[in-house]
Amino acid sequence: MAAVSLDHGLILAAILFVIGFVGLLTRRNLIVVLACIEIMLNAAGLAFVVAGARWGRADGQVMFLFVLAMAAAEVAVGLALAIRFRQSLGRLDVDDADEMKG
Amino acid sequence: MTGGDLITLLPLIVLTASPVVVMLAAAFWRSHALALTLTLVGLTATIVSLFIAAGRTSRQVTPLLSFDAYALFYIGLLTAATAGVAILSWNYLQRRHVHPEEYYMLLLTATLGGAVLVASTHFASFFLGLEILSVSLYALIVYPIYRTQFVEAAVKYLVLAGSTSAFLVFGMALVYAETGTMTVSGLAPLLRAGLGGADVVVVLGVVLLLVGVGFKLAVVPFHMWTPDVYQGAPAPVGAYVATVSKGAVFALLLRYFRPVSLDPGSSLFLVFAAVAIASMVAGNLLALRQDNVKRILAYSSIAHLGYLLVAFLATGERAAIAVTFYLVAYFATTLAAFGVVAALSPPERDAESLSDYRGLARRRRWTATAFTIALFSLAGMPLTMGFIGKFYLVTAGAGSALWALIIVLVLTSTVGLYYYTRVVVAMWVRQPDEGAEAMGAAVDGASGAVLAALTAFLIVFGVYPAPLIHLIERAVSSLL
Amino acid sequence: MLQLLWIIPALPAAGFVVLALLNRHLGRRAAAVIGAGSVGLSAVVALLVAVSFIASPPPGDVYRQVLWTWFDTGGLAPQIAFYLDAMSVIFVVVITFVGFLIHLYSTEFMERDEGYTRFFMYMNLFVASMLVLVLADNLLLLYLGWEGVGLCSYLLISFWQRDLQNVYAGRKAFIVTRIGDTALIIGLFLLFTQLHTLAIQPLMAGAAKEWPVGSGFAVAAAALLLGGAVGKSAQLPLQTWLPDAMAGPTPVSALIHAATMVTAGVYLIARTNVLFTLAPDVRLAVAIVGTVTLLYACFCALAQHDIKRVLAYSTMSQIGYMFLALGVAGWSAAIFHFMTHAFFKALLFLAAGAVIESLGGEHDIFKMGGLRRKLPTAFWAFIVGAASLAAMPLVTSGFYSKDLIIETSLGSVDGNAWLWLGALVGSLLTSIYAFRLVFVVFFGDQQTPVTRRPRWRMLLPLWVLSALSLIGGFVWLPEWMGSFHPLENFLGEALPPLKTVASSFAYTGVSALLTSLVAVVGVALATVWLVESRAALGDFAARPTPHALQEFWLNGWGFDWLYEHVFVIPVKWFARVARNDLVEPAFSGLAWLNVQAWRALSASQNGVLRVYIAVAGVGLVVILAFVVLR
Repeated sequence: MAAVSLDHGLILAAILFVIGFVGLLTRRNLIVVLACIEIMLNAAGLAFVVAGARWGRADGQVMFLFVLAMAAAEVAVGLALAIRFRQSLGRLDVDDADEMKG
Repeated sequence: MTGGDLITLLPLIVLTASPVVVMLAAAFWRSHALALTLTLVGLTATIVSLFIAAGRTSRQVTPLLSFDAYALFYIGLLTAATAGVAILSWNYLQRRHVHPEEYYMLLLTATLGGAVLVASTHFASFFLGLEILSVSLYALIVYPIYRTQFVEAAVKYLVLAGSTSAFLVFGMALVYAETGTMTVSGLAPLLRAGLGGADVVVVLGVVLLLVGVGFKLAVVPFHMWTPDVYQGAPAPVGAYVATVSKGAVFALLLRYFRPVSLDPGSSLFLVFAAVAIASMVAGNLLALRQDNVKRILAYSSIAHLGYLLVAFLATGERAAIAVTFYLVAYFATTLAAFGVVAALSPPERDAESLSDYRGLARRRRWTATAFTIALFSLAGMPLTMGFIGKFYLVTAGAGSALWALIIVLVLTSTVGLYYYTRVVVAMWVRQPDEGAEAMGAAVDGASGAVLAALTAFLIVFGVYPAPLIHLIERAVSSLL
Repeated sequence: MLQLLWIIPALPAAGFVVLALLNRHLGRRAAAVIGAGSVGLSAVVALLVAVSFIASPPPGDVYRQVLWTWFDTGGLAPQIAFYLDAMSVIFVVVITFVGFLIHLYSTEFMERDEGYTRFFMYMNLFVASMLVLVLADNLLLLYLGWEGVGLCSYLLISFWQRDLQNVYAGRKAFIVTRIGDTALIIGLFLLFTQLHTLAIQPLMAGAAKEWPVGSGFAVAAAALLLGGAVGKSAQLPLQTWLPDAMAGPTPVSALIHAATMVTAGVYLIARTNVLFTLAPDVRLAVAIVGTVTLLYACFCALAQHDIKRVLAYSTMSQIGYMFLALGVAGWSAAIFHFMTHAFFKALLFLAAGAVIESLGGEHDIFKMGGLRRKLPTAFWAFIVGAASLAAMPLVTSGFYSKDLIIETSLGSVDGNAWLWLGALVGSLLTSIYAFRLVFVVFFGDQQTPVTRRPRWRMLLPLWVLSALSLIGGFVWLPEWMGSFHPLENFLGEALPPLKTVASSFAYTGVSALLTSLVAVVGVALATVWLVESRAALGDFAARPTPHALQEFWLNGWGFDWLYEHVFVIPVKWFARVARNDLVEPAFSGLAWLNVQAWRALSASQNGVLRVYIAVAGVGLVVILAFVVLR
């Protein structure tokens, strides 16, 4: 199997990252927002894996494991929060949460 | 990992064991008092273990963590701050009839995250510490869960923290991709050049890293969450976010950059300088006509991080001492301020509106005095720690000829005087507002003791800072 | 024993803290015990330290006690340190001892007042600040004490806050002394930037080494310090606040505006005497300011109706004497007069307070009268005090100190005849107004009934101070009475000696004679005018020219009117006119700008999460662009 070059890997990661970020900016559903964060985190993790491959060490993949674990924890709390959000504000629209301003 | 390493790791081990113990105890016997006691025991044990760990000569445990004097000092600071927050939370939670045991557990895990951060010398521990801290905070901010604003604040914090963490990780990945190193020492040559001749990828990586850090520090332009989260979070949690969360990340920043002295012409330097100026200006201006005390404190914390960045940019040992001293002062005064807010809050809401404080001196003279001293320390009045801290910051900046930054510091501090004095005047004015009698909630003994201790701390070290300075010198010297 | 030095200011400071914290919970008794007790204990310690200092003097006749270094920034490292030499010993003993007597007096004087605890709280803070001022080893600490006494003066003048007039008086005192304080702080900056230290002794040594006599820096520094001293000591042209400061309770007037705070300027100049020696022109200015002020104040005192205002102008005048002495390099003489003045002026004020209280709050001397049988202690206290003030020969302490100053004003190498003449005429006028007061208040027909009588706590200080006013002068006898001057020898350890052109037996003898003559003539005139032919005097005073003159002197030679018209009204007019066009927009514009910026930034915080993320993103892009393109 041909090795994926560093640049290609990073560009893929970057594209994914940007997709996630744009999604974050444009989507209003809280669940989708959380998913976009996941996309961003995984894109970053992908970048790590590729970087580790470039240097031929396991560091990148280890970091990816860390990222995965933390993302999971985050999502767990995030989903619980989403439930509470729906209960307090009636729907999952992030823009509804603008009571505090100034 | 040898047995000796385990002793070096002792603070962290104790800090990890504490939330587990609290959790287990809560599983068998739900009791607020027990949870708080166990928490405080755990925190005290951590501080004791600091002294034990200090006896070790080899401080680096795996490439990830280094428990030098610097780390130990900061762990001590964070632990003490957490203890203060825990005691201040006692009455706050008691009045609100929520199950409080998990709160203390989360507080401890957050502190664990902070401790990992200050000892971190590697991206892995950096990330882990940051995430442990953040996730704990997501849950803490929404803890009492009965008001919309808690949920709103938590969602904002979560989304922003999550996304900036992603930036952080991506930045780390890019840096790693180009340089092959993830440690502080490995990064030093890169940072020393100030991003001058580096590869685009690395530059991108470092900037993304700074986004993650900047969010946690709440500096411009990553500051927008601060007022909403401070306002929306329960007062003791607000205290925690304002102090421990920022302090830990700043300590880490100092560790990563301290072996390097940034060349004033380099891009990185200019970026930091611009961020500092923007934070000082925006922070002070945004608080100008605020009527919400918690938002005032939030904006003021943005400004204070700006001040800290000025000394951060200065070189020399004096600058590092100045930064640490100012952080300690900032911790004490912010805890005191939020502590007053927490102590005065009636069960159904937080005491956040300025009208809640009008005429406070009449009804709660000591609390008003404590708050006044805390505000004066934030403003930098002589005889408080805040004055000495600011003086040191200005001296450090002057020592490195950072004239533009110092001028902005002084001018914005003057603006700051206005809104701090506004609150003080409101408290000492004679007539309380009509509905303010609801603020008759008595300040409980525990909170009162903490507030008294903090106030005394602020004044004693404002007049006689020498012992603290010696301690800080020892801590910082291990860094340089 | 000398290690107890720090306790002296610490005790009243502790008293202040205790009274501040336990304000609501303390009864009158406790407040009195703490308030007066702390100063009393401080006085005891002061006496112990003084005795120890005199009996076994430390090396170099100086004792330094360093408590700690406040902060250390390489260049500036001010220490909390105390410096004790002969001069400080005198000041400390006087401040604590007289202070204690006045506190004791106040425990009875203020007993029906609702702010009892608050009163002692402020008074203790004052005593602590004043002690810090005179014991300070460096000018920064001295300035801390300086500001502290200024603050307490303001708080105590406007103590009876319900009456707005008192608040205005306090405000006026604060603002006028502020002008002086600004000069002082500029002077401190100048000294620090030129000589790189604020510790007094190294500062003086540095100045002596680096600045030649008459150098610009020395002149500037001395002039600025003089400005500060003039404000605090109520000398021309910053004297207008002192008469109005009589709005405060009488013990306040006695302690702050007679014995201690107003002498801070004298202390400052004496302490930094090296600078003044290096700037002879400024020293001459000191003497001139002193002389002009003393004459000015004498005339004003002659025309006053309010018993306390007479004493206020009298204080102004006596401090003028001290300034005169300082100006002709009679440093020790000035300190001597400070000491005797503290005794007899406090005595006079306390006695006046007893009179005022006994008459139910009456201040107007023309509504008093005939009190010498009804209030015997007050009467005799007044006689002693007035006699000492007038420098009645041989038996009063005031005679010795004032005579010394008069003879120095001519006899010193820097003296001249005009100064001497001014001092002598002033002495005549002093005698007249002092006894005018005695005769109008205590002789003649009684106008207002006596409703209360002072009891032991008010009487004991009067007796003690009377005794001191009589015997306090025997520590420094003039040449013609023999060579007994232990005080001069003592102060000579700390202050430079006086260089005289004339100091022989004959000279001092003649001088004493003249002083005595002038004093007695003054009493005689007062007797004639006020006792014998009061009616004739009344007729004379009613005629247009004398009446106008009296009004003029009554209003302090129109200084208030002058300042009002030269400064206050034009500034207010200018502010009104310029409100719409000139300088006003700069200031309100600044405020407006800030508020607009706030509005704009505040609008940016619109609460929408996605906007927050977007801002972060934009910030990121900007930073990235900057770094990459550079």
